[in-house]
Amino acid sequence: METLPPKPQTECESNVQLGPDGLARVVLKGRLSTRTVVDCWRSLELALRDAHVKTLEVDVSGVDFCGGAGFALLRYLNMGRMTQGAKVTVVGLAAGFQTLFEGFTAQDYDAFHPQPQKSSHPLVEDAGHATRQLLTDLRDQVDFLGGVAANLPPSLINPKRMRWPEVRHVFELAGANAVPIVSLVSLLLGFIIAFESAQRLAEFGAQIYVANTITVVMVREMGPLMTAILLAGRSASAFAAEIGTMKVNEELNALETLGLSPIRFLVVPRLMAGVMVAPLLTCYSILMGVVGGALVMLGLGFSLRLILHQMALSVHLSDLTVGMEKAVVFGIIVSGIGCWRGLQTEQGPSAVGLSTTRAVVTSLLLIIVADACFSTISYFLK
Amino acid sequence: MNEQDEIVVSAKDLTPCKMVNESDDIVISVKDLSIGYGERVILEKVNFQVKRGEVFVILGESGCGKSTLMKTMIGLYPPQSGEVWIEGGNLVAAQGDDRLRLLRKFGVMYQSGALFGSMNVLENVRLPLDEFTELPEPLKELVSLAKLKLVGLGNAANKMPSELSGGMQKRAAIARAMVMDPGILFLDEPSAGLDPITSAGIDLLISGLSHHFGITFVIVSHELASIYAVADRVIMVDCQTRGIVAQGKPAELRDSATDPWVHRFFNREADASHSVEPA
Repeated sequence: METLPPKPQTECESNVQLGPDGLARVVLKGRLSTRTVVDCWRSLELALRDAHVKTLEVDVSGVDFCGGAGFALLRYLNMGRMTQGAKVTVVGLAAGFQTLFEGFTAQDYDAFHPQPQKSSHPLVEDAGHATRQLLTDLRDQVDFLGGVAANLPPSLINPKRMRWPEVRHVFELAGANAVPIVSLVSLLLGFIIAFESAQRLAEFGAQIYVANTITVVMVREMGPLMTAILLAGRSASAFAAEIGTMKVNEELNALETLGLSPIRFLVVPRLMAGVMVAPLLTCYSILMGVVGGALVMLGLGFSLRLILHQMALSVHLSDLTVGMEKAVVFGIIVSGIGCWRGLQTEQGPSAVGLSTTRAVVTSLLLIIVADACFSTISYFLK
Repeated sequence: MNEQDEIVVSAKDLTPCKMVNESDDIVISVKDLSIGYGERVILEKVNFQVKRGEVFVILGESGCGKSTLMKTMIGLYPPQSGEVWIEGGNLVAAQGDDRLRLLRKFGVMYQSGALFGSMNVLENVRLPLDEFTELPEPLKELVSLAKLKLVGLGNAANKMPSELSGGMQKRAAIARAMVMDPGILFLDEPSAGLDPITSAGIDLLISGLSHHFGITFVIVSHELASIYAVADRVIMVDCQTRGIVAQGKPAELRDSATDPWVHRFFNREADASHSVEPA
């Protein structure tokens, strides 16, 4: 039998002896730990892979330490994975270790089949899946709207049924706490619109109309829209996360079994707070936007009196009405969608995150759709 | 990975005998440990030691700081004062690589299992091997599958954690905790919320792992049946005294505890003030 020189390991020694007629013997000595097994594996693979071994004997009587990785190496050799088609025996195992070694067999390994990667869905299947999801969403929306329709009027008719402390709490979170971000965004928006329009209007010597532009744009469009977008980012996501977490923790089930409607208990107060907070924040946003624009105009050399005069001339009550109508509708969309997506939360660790994302995306989408409807209707009604 | 981190399964010497307390080998030593949240002190100047191969149970009433004590021992929470020595290293003071080396000496099973929901069971179990070893892919898979088989989940490797029952999740978490062959396993409430049969199965698994592999277990529990089944030694922590009120073998404490509260605990006797019967 030809003996290859033993490959010294740090703490594990593997000796491969190749004989005639595909006979081979592997002698393992020392410690088979997670670290030493790596080198041992490499040297064994190098020696055995192309050796055309038919019968392999693995002698482990010299092994005095065997961790999980060592055990795996022995099983791997025993399964003939390094010596395709060879008959492999492992000898020198102590009785106790033999029992453990036989506890995980080649059959156990073969029984494990990795799940095949999901193939990409064909177009028709994708379309069907999307349609079904859309219909499920629609049905859920109708259910939700029905629930709101059934629970909101009684709470409005009988104010004692309304959970006012909850309304106040949500009002504070969604409204008062949003004031700093609304201030900053609206002020900067006023700056941006004023500077952009001032550049263009200067070409016509009509920079004074920056005041008109900023007022109309903020009152009719940007005030309600930016407020709604900020509310969607802050409050719709918060409502979805809060209600979603309650659903995952079975708090909604507890409400149901206590005889309390989750819609009356959780959705109506949030809807109420959303409807109240959106117009107020919108008013504040318009004010800050106009202030931003006025500051730019002051910088351009116009007097405050002239700026205010132009602003007062440019905006009518109908503009403010449109702005407030939009704010109320956006408030309903943001709070309603936030709660609805929260109620849709399924089980699982990523469910709440998914609901939160959906709440923001759906809110933004519906806000833009509603805004487009408002613009179209107001154009034709004019 | 350090050699000392691994379970020693000797091909020559391993026989089904429990390696407990033969040489009074101390693997964990808690010295003057005070724990709490902010200004609030939960346990004050606690001292105890855990011997190699023993099943050591920390017990006490709900909210007395058992889990906080365990989480301080494994380095998740900083103590208010004191030291936790694991295999000769002070985990409280250790930093950087020293701390990592100490962390690899033990595995942890959390109360909920804490399996990663986006990975299947096999991926959960093999994660430490992927991150900390250079083992070839087939060996990583073999080690993970063997550990799963060991905890009785050989056919659940492809399942997602959400598809497993509570008991199976805990078993999978134990498999993940022991995949790097640590010498110590910390288990937080392994039997909580499980039916008696599943709970007994977990007890059997703990006993088997301790018996065959000589793993040292530190278990937080208040399930009396499990404690009697698996514990070699228990300590009992108490909110009132903020310390250890009893320690020893569970059966001895049940039969001969002098402290009335300890006696009531081990004999499952209710406090009279909880009765709804009219006085």
